[in-house]
Amino acid sequence: MTEQQKALQDVRQAGFAMIDAGMFLDSHPTDETALQYFHTMHHQYDKAVELYEKNFGPLKLKSAGKGKTWNWIDEPWPWEGV
Amino acid sequence: MWDYDKKLIYPVRIARPDPAMAKLIITQLGGPDGELGAAMRYLNQRYAQPYAQAKAILTDIGTEELAHCEMIGAIVHQLTRNLTPEQIKQSGFDAYFVDHTTGVYPQAASGTPFSAATLQSTGDAIADLFEDQAAEQKARLTYDNLLRLLDDPDVRDPIKFLREREIVHFQRFGEALRDVQENLDAKNYYAYNPSFDTCASRRK
Repeated sequence: MTEQQKALQDVRQAGFAMIDAGMFLDSHPTDETALQYFHTMHHQYDKAVELYEKNFGPLKLKSAGKGKTWNWIDEPWPWEGV
Repeated sequence: MWDYDKKLIYPVRIARPDPAMAKLIITQLGGPDGELGAAMRYLNQRYAQPYAQAKAILTDIGTEELAHCEMIGAIVHQLTRNLTPEQIKQSGFDAYFVDHTTGVYPQAASGTPFSAATLQSTGDAIADLFEDQAAEQKARLTYDNLLRLLDDPDVRDPIKFLREREIVHFQRFGEALRDVQENLDAKNYYAYNPSFDTCASRRK
């Protein structure tokens, strides 16, 4: 696994944990343990995104274009299996 | 992948129900030139595009079309709230109502359910981008036709926004097409299939 793939996997793990916990919270909106878990994963996710984007480019439109050109279009795209 | 923003891309606030108009506007969700077909067309065409700009444009426009589907859903929903049985009968909404009550179902104004047969994904970058430009024009003229029939400013306003976006997308697809053509081998006079013919299976 490359450094980029590792950094992306960290984003993916925390992001997926948020999706899964969020879904659980939709039907258990007062579950304190789940809420705490969501917050922890959210914090982890933000850190992982920051690290990834600093080194490998934007994950979201809002993070694109911080240099002099529009790096949103930079390849590879996610479906290319790189 | 995608995540959801808990907002509409443009506000929809409709005070008066109008089930007859809802039955026409729903064509821009599930009709032949509707937003659902647009989203599916662009998001599925991306994989065959050989160049970065067109990959980005199809991704970004396809994503916006998903937001447009939600706007049409919101318009249809707000136009069909709090109806009486009399309103349902008199407006001609009754045929829709028996099948879907006031649920939002992707269908054309004619009642034909949404079909992927209204779109293509050819694997050919140029053919797809020409289709995409045509699709934007067809969606624009459908909005023009709706605006000819619509009086309520609450409904006209979001429809006008959607119409304008068709024009912007048409422009962007034109630029994507130009970029693909500029990337072609100069000997490719007829501008054919840059995705497939550059891969290993190319035959001279």
